[in-house]
Amino acid sequence: MRFSEEVVKLKDVWVAYSGSDRPAMRNINLTVSLGKLLLITGPNGAGKTTLIETCLGLLKPYRGSAYLFGVDTRSWRVRYSRKMCGFVPQDFMKPPFETYTVRHVIRLGFAPYKSIFESLTEDENRRIQRISELLEIEDLLDRPIGTLSGGQQQRAVIARALARRPKALFLDEPFSSLDREGRKLISSVIREYVDSEGASVIIVSHDVNPIIDYADIVVKMENGRIISGEGYA
Amino acid sequence: MLEFLGLALLAAVLSGNLCGAIGFYVQRLKITTLSFSVAHAALAGASIGLILNLDPVYSAMIVAVASALILGVIFTRVEYGRELISMAVFSTSSAIAVFAIYLSNVRVLATASIAVVLWGSLLAITVEKLILLLLTLFIFVLYILAYKIQIDSMLYDVKMAEAEGINVQMHMLIMLFFAGLIISSSLRLTGGFLVFTLLYNPVAASFQISRRAHMQLLVSSILGASSASSGLIVSYILDWPVGATIALVSSIILLSAYIAKIIVEAARRRCLSCPMLG
Ligand SMILES: Nc1ncnc2c1ncn2[C@@H]1O[C@H](COP(=O)(O)OP(=O)(O)O)[C@@H](O)[C@H]1O
Ligand SMILES: [Mg+2]
Repeated sequence: MRFSEEVVKLKDVWVAYSGSDRPAMRNINLTVSLGKLLLITGPNGAGKTTLIETCLGLLKPYRGSAYLFGVDTRSWRVRYSRKMCGFVPQDFMKPPFETYTVRHVIRLGFAPYKSIFESLTEDENRRIQRISELLEIEDLLDRPIGTLSGGQQQRAVIARALARRPKALFLDEPFSSLDREGRKLISSVIREYVDSEGASVIIVSHDVNPIIDYADIVVKMENGRIISGEGYA
Repeated sequence: MLEFLGLALLAAVLSGNLCGAIGFYVQRLKITTLSFSVAHAALAGASIGLILNLDPVYSAMIVAVASALILGVIFTRVEYGRELISMAVFSTSSAIAVFAIYLSNVRVLATASIAVVLWGSLLAITVEKLILLLLTLFIFVLYILAYKIQIDSMLYDVKMAEAEGINVQMHMLIMLFFAGLIISSSLRLTGGFLVFTLLYNPVAASFQISRRAHMQLLVSSILGASSASSGLIVSYILDWPVGATIALVSSIILLSAYIAKIIVEAARRRCLSCPMLG
């Protein structure tokens, strides 16, 4: 299967939630190519989460078209594009009774690449070890994720996304639970990842410090519209 | 006499176990409403079987599995009004079931087989049906093991699983397919109107008892098997209708689990506030 070099392409996209009479996103045009770090910012309710989930095809436009690696997100084939993506959702927190260990959670990121009865390779296990050292969570690997703090859980989910070695990484408010140290660490790890792998990272964050210093492009949203930085990225 | 009871008991354990397990997956994947429609489609299928003089288990299976697949496919295509479609299938199936039962009563006069389809029966379990249940259990376990990591990923977080490229729709379709298969093969024991009590009560009770996914699956399967088997024994001893007795037992288990949870939580709260332990 051939994929486009354009990671994301949104053409006159309108998105609404069922039961809502107001579109959450209107007339969005955006193209992101490989090797870019894009920062999408804007106040609460601007439509940032809607935008990131539309890129992945989790939400479908009711007007216009969205493409992920050149595949229309309405097509069933978008699943193959998604295998090249990592995703950290805004609501990543798990309650205290969630007993999956951090290592298990990160391993689950490899599930889409596995055929029946197949388990992880040595290489993949080593990669999990390396990424968790990079994000300074190697001591937490065997702890149940529910017992960790918000910042620790957030690092674990970012580790899962990075371990999959995605061509496109979608992060929805990845700094929300991190302290200053954590934000700096994640920002530099992500910049490093973009440069070494030639991958794209799309970060949504209402708080731009310090990631704005690392971003290639900054897009501002308000009221479901892009108010600056629209177009080609 | 004892031979058929043993057969029925085995069937009850298998049915209850399967219903408890599929109930857990259906609940965690949030396709309960869909499975409800599938259960009613099974009843419609069984009733159609009465008119056409087919084995109601097989006609139930065909209609249930077909409706599971159709619902599953529709759900991947449509985004709005999913609940509506589900309710439409549910009410249409119920109407067909009642209508077919009425017709078969008028035409075929097979009151005994109607009773089996509606209320379940101890005598309806044959070796053939038992083999069918065993076969269903075997392929279900095979599926769960084959796709363990993918299913685990969906149980942990469906949205992340979908965003990473897991074929979430396919797995939901397969789960619905199994729901159809399991419901139809359990229909003879519990009857068409009460089969969902085995699908929902054990898992609801397990949610009161544990909050860990794998524990819930285990507890739900065990509770399903024990409600079905103990319900069957009680119905045999007291000469009560088997389906209703099983439903009653599983409801009592759910209620007890709920009350136990309230008591345990109250005790825990008191311990926390007591100065010596706190
Ligand atoms: N599940 C939902 N149902 C209905 N409306 C929603 C839902 N999620 C978000 N919205 C609405 O869509 C708009 C954009 O939300 P969102 O994309 O979450 O903004 P942001 O991530 O920038 O804070 C808001 O007006 C919000 O109220
Ligand atoms: Mg948001």
